[in-house]
Amino acid sequence: MDLISSIVSLTFIAQVIRLMTPFYLGASAANFSERGGVINISIEGFMNLSAFSFAVFSIATGSILLGFIMAIAINLLFSLLFAYFTVKLKLDQIVTGVGFNLLSAGITKFLMVYIFKSSSNTERFEGLPDLNFFESIPILGSIFSDYITIFTFALIFISGFVLFKTRFGLRLRSAGENPWAAESLGVNVRKYKVYGILISGFLSALAGMWLASNQNSYSDGMIAGRGYIALAAMIIGKWKPVNIFFACLMFSAFEALEISLQVSGTDIPAQLIQMLPYLITVLVLIGFIGKTRPPAADGVPY
Amino acid sequence: MNLKTKINLISVSVSLVITLLIFSLIILLIGQNPAGILSIILNDVFATGYGMGQTLFKATSLIFCACGLAICFHVALFNIGAEGQLNAGSFVIALVAVYFADLPFPIVFLFCLVSGFIVSGIFGLIPAYIKIKKDVSEVITTIMFNFIILALVNFFLLDFFAVKSTMRTEKISENFMLTKLSDFMPFFSGSSLNVSFILALAVAVISYILIYKTKFGYELRAVGFNKTASKFIGLNVNKITLIAFFAGAGLTSLSGINFIFGYKGFYEMGFSSNIGFTAIAVALLAKNNPIGIIFSSLLFSILEYGGLSVNQQVPKEIMLVVQGVIILAILSVDKIVNNYFERRL
Repeated sequence: MDLISSIVSLTFIAQVIRLMTPFYLGASAANFSERGGVINISIEGFMNLSAFSFAVFSIATGSILLGFIMAIAINLLFSLLFAYFTVKLKLDQIVTGVGFNLLSAGITKFLMVYIFKSSSNTERFEGLPDLNFFESIPILGSIFSDYITIFTFALIFISGFVLFKTRFGLRLRSAGENPWAAESLGVNVRKYKVYGILISGFLSALAGMWLASNQNSYSDGMIAGRGYIALAAMIIGKWKPVNIFFACLMFSAFEALEISLQVSGTDIPAQLIQMLPYLITVLVLIGFIGKTRPPAADGVPY
Repeated sequence: MNLKTKINLISVSVSLVITLLIFSLIILLIGQNPAGILSIILNDVFATGYGMGQTLFKATSLIFCACGLAICFHVALFNIGAEGQLNAGSFVIALVAVYFADLPFPIVFLFCLVSGFIVSGIFGLIPAYIKIKKDVSEVITTIMFNFIILALVNFFLLDFFAVKSTMRTEKISENFMLTKLSDFMPFFSGSSLNVSFILALAVAVISYILIYKTKFGYELRAVGFNKTASKFIGLNVNKITLIAFFAGAGLTSLSGINFIFGYKGFYEMGFSSNIGFTAIAVALLAKNNPIGIIFSSLLFSILEYGGLSVNQQVPKEIMLVVQGVIILAILSVDKIVNNYFERRL
């Protein structure tokens, strides 16, 4: 198959936009937390946990809806715990994040073996229902075939609106920029930090569920670094919803390229393509996009 | 005993007790008897020479890696890239040992030590350099470099150096293999424990002296404690940071020596099984003190080997949960205990 023609095809573009979903959800998750001043490097772990709990509860109860609700509930609990450590106890956010990633991987690996007697993957399940509304429209139909992707597109505008046009957003950002000033103006800084982390947990739950739904099962290691890519997309996008969207598009384009390269069987080694998003992240951070400025009090325990 | 040591001891023991409770709770929940499981673990690890040897063998790699990380952490920067760094160095170590098979052992071994150290070190140096020059968070770059290095090593391994239809390099010469400790201590017979363990103890002691008893270590800790003040008193903060990251990342390559020269004789994809991340927890538990790292490495390797020995009753993956719990327990208990003493003083 001709690689060039496969890349410029509409199916490829549709693929890129679809694959953007988990990246954008993860990056927004990280962004809401960091706008409130809490660095959350455990997006990877959050996504992993929700993908797993979605699969487990969907399979166990036979109801996708219950699986969906349980996955969100468990992620919110996990975020509350994260908030307890980072906001209440004011522990180092990076180390806590590393701990949560380890814990999430541990819990899922352990329960996988315990429940499914397999260390690789769960049985198949149906996944989220398709959305048939756009089916008749050729390209849109294949892009907007599920609810979460639609929500992700809406999220670009919702998060921009919430962060920059509402009182909630202003207060959240004030907690991340200058918590001392915010507190002196009567903002309950810690409460807003916790809200930011909870939103982070909710959005990463959606990301994890989309991934599990996409392959109709949960498998060990299926997040495959997407949570970290999402963090990179947030930084490259300079903590701004629209810019983050374009950064995510770039990363999903690489993923789609990797898939079509594997299908077309070219000589370009797959490992080098897999490496590209990470290498580009580093190069971009070093200086092809100008200075990035995180929220001023990002990572500072308050 | 001064107050600081007392606080540390209290918080370490309290968090270990909490971890033990959570561990027992999980085991109860899946319908097993915690005491029984615990006794199997302790029995397997401590009552047999093989078990003890395997535990110490696993501890060896952790000690190397965690000591390296401790040096990085002392300048108050994160290094989440040990997994990548140690793989890069170990891969080069295996290749050097294979391609210079004709030279005498001491020269080859030295060559391997130096080349592995430099390669791993460079991958620590790059994120530190980027941090200094461009103020890009080392957390992100070290994570990214994990993926970059693993993909690169994978590429070079599979496309150029791997033995056909395997994921490993050629075996190094049999004469190069390090002596197993069981050769002069039959007690350990059957286990992979080798002289690297003694090297690991030496590295821990040397790192301890370097960090706490030398001028460089003093400067290192000063930079970690207060960067601005260090600059003010005339320390070259950037240079110290770069040296710490080079040396720290370089040390992680020694875990490859333990695996390649001490055990398998080749580099294998995935040999490190996440010790680069486990070592973060090990160093944290020991508060970045290399002598403490010897003990926390032992604890983590007991967990890992113990997991294998109870796999019949409880999935061995429970130990991954325990590792996560330990990190969070030590972090939070330490904070709470410190707050308590601060209030009383």
